[in-house]
Amino acid sequence: MNEVAVAILLLAPVLGGLAVWRMIGRRAEITAEISLGVTTVAALGLASAALTGGRLVAFADLISLDALGAYILALTATVACLAMAASPRYVRHELTAGAFRQHDEGRFYALFLWFVASLVVVPIVDNLGLLWVAIEATTMVSALLVGITRTPEAIEAAWKYLILGTIGVGFALLGTLLAYASSVHVLGDSSDAMNWTRLMSIAPTLNPNLLRISFVFALAGYGTKIGLVPFHTWLPDAHSQAPSPVSALLSGVSITAALYALIRFHLVAAAGLGPGFSSTLLIAFGLLSLAVALPFLVRQEDVKRLLAYSSIEHMGLLTLGIGFGGPLALLGVILHLGLHAVTKATLFLSAGELVQQYGSRRLSRIRGTLASAPVAGGAFGAGIVLLGGLPPSGIFATEFAIVVGGALAGYVVAAAIAAVLLALSFVALAVHGSRLLWGRTAPGISVVHVGRGMALRLAAPLFAVAILGLWTPGPLADALNSIRAVLAVHGG
Amino acid sequence: MNFDPMAAARLLDACSAGIVLVGILIAGTRSIGRAIWLVGAQAILLAVAAFGVGVATNSPHLLIGSLLTFAVRGIAVPLILGRILRRSPVRVERNPYLNPRLSLIVAIVIVFAAAITMDNAALGGPLDAPRALPASVAEVLTGLLIAMTRRKSLSIVVGLLVFENGLALAAFSLTYGMPLVVELGAAFDLLMVIVVVGVYARRMLTVFGSLSTDELRRLRG
Repeated sequence: MNEVAVAILLLAPVLGGLAVWRMIGRRAEITAEISLGVTTVAALGLASAALTGGRLVAFADLISLDALGAYILALTATVACLAMAASPRYVRHELTAGAFRQHDEGRFYALFLWFVASLVVVPIVDNLGLLWVAIEATTMVSALLVGITRTPEAIEAAWKYLILGTIGVGFALLGTLLAYASSVHVLGDSSDAMNWTRLMSIAPTLNPNLLRISFVFALAGYGTKIGLVPFHTWLPDAHSQAPSPVSALLSGVSITAALYALIRFHLVAAAGLGPGFSSTLLIAFGLLSLAVALPFLVRQEDVKRLLAYSSIEHMGLLTLGIGFGGPLALLGVILHLGLHAVTKATLFLSAGELVQQYGSRRLSRIRGTLASAPVAGGAFGAGIVLLGGLPPSGIFATEFAIVVGGALAGYVVAAAIAAVLLALSFVALAVHGSRLLWGRTAPGISVVHVGRGMALRLAAPLFAVAILGLWTPGPLADALNSIRAVLAVHGG
Repeated sequence: MNFDPMAAARLLDACSAGIVLVGILIAGTRSIGRAIWLVGAQAILLAVAAFGVGVATNSPHLLIGSLLTFAVRGIAVPLILGRILRRSPVRVERNPYLNPRLSLIVAIVIVFAAAITMDNAALGGPLDAPRALPASVAEVLTGLLIAMTRRKSLSIVVGLLVFENGLALAAFSLTYGMPLVVELGAAFDLLMVIVVVGVYARRMLTVFGSLSTDELRRLRG
């Protein structure tokens, strides 16, 4: 049963991508939507089974899905659906504008589906080597999507992403090998010695020196994919140059998937060495990312780069929260992970709409959107308010939990610095957002009316984020608690 | 086949020395074509080493890994890169950030530094081959050196491949090699990297008329 669901989860997007490669028009859209729909059903089915019934195992020791993996899997499928829902409108506009050639349409959907296929592998595999293979595959497929328009800027962004992503993830492979090597004296040449479940179970006997170097390399490697400073330089380029639905996937789930990989290494390292070593590093890099992202948010001139730097900021906050540990901070981290993914994806989708309408990414050009693009502009404004963590946003609750949880866990100074940085970055976002909403529109920008469907697609996810700040449904609370149990570090 | 661990360890050491030597040659060449076939030769040495270790430790997954390394890294990747290079009007590194003669010297320094700092760093690998780990660290660093100091996109990719060969050597020297599924996945990923490189190399040639990364400095802030 699990085997069948996993097979459907992976085969639907892979085969759908093959089928859609040469298609155009409505056929391409429907094929892609059906194929993603099938994957989503399989993903949500597997995730809910794992969240309610405990860890799922399939294909001998290859697949292992615990509560944390289930959550990431469900999140990936959800954000992919949001991005897919906005894709047909986006692609048609790019075709009319001449940015896409006709055959790019089928390729866009095919690569989109393969990107999703590589993303859903990440949270379900048990083997750290396969986890690495999947993350490397996400880089390759999404690098093709980043440069699909063939503009000089897009080629530059894709090339940097390709090279820095490969080198970065190469270091993660070194980290993986060292984790494996730390077990060789216990496990010898056994096929499951690279499985994190196996490594967790024998953690106290792992070679501590190798485990320490292993975590450092995994941090640098997966930190590159997460966008942690100073490994982040490719991220604003790639996330801003990609087609907006792809930006939504990159900033919503791709970096989240890499963070998941880093969490697995943190858990193994903490179980083997005690929580001190990896937590300290996570706190340091988290704070650094929060601090470095701030000036780029303040002085930003490009709407999509603004969102990309905000992703660096939020990934820094999440890394910080994982480093803090402690029940409250971890609860905040878990919910924040999901809320950030959904909010950021929606922001990229509404920004994409605005960029197409204004024919520019420049924040100094995109002004007065409430008058000329009420739906996309309104969604962008609401998204900024929610993302900045103004109550009643769920993100207010999660940021509060991470900061207070950090202080409770004994990291008072780090928590205080984080609180100040978060407040400042909210001000920066709010200033950009208010100009974008109410500033004076440049002449020649015509009012665009979007259908009710588009409005609903942008409003519904934001509404959900706002609601979750006020009220957590019972089953979700149970799920959050079981995910927190996975993240809680017991070691020493 | 009868092949004792001592002989396999000596083979691994000898191949490691060869890999390091080829790495130094790659750092010192201006010709992109020569760099491409040298990096293929490096991968073939890697495959030979893996085969020896596989026979000595009796692990079939290492033998398959060795064949994969030979076929993908040793043959397919250099062939594909060579084809891309033939489209390019310029096939030498004209003015890299670091002169090849100087990078040759830096590469030699890297090798000695790795050898001295990691002397006798036996980290629990299956064979007693003391040169393999320093050699792999040296190749990882040499690869980074090449990738960071060259201007032509294909030279950067060659640096990336040297880096990856170093990683693969680390896999043999630290552990019993990766499980077969991972080995297969890694080979697939490497082929994807090369395909994507090919796609963007073609786009660079169409849009900029060259494979130089000098054109890639528009995005800032």
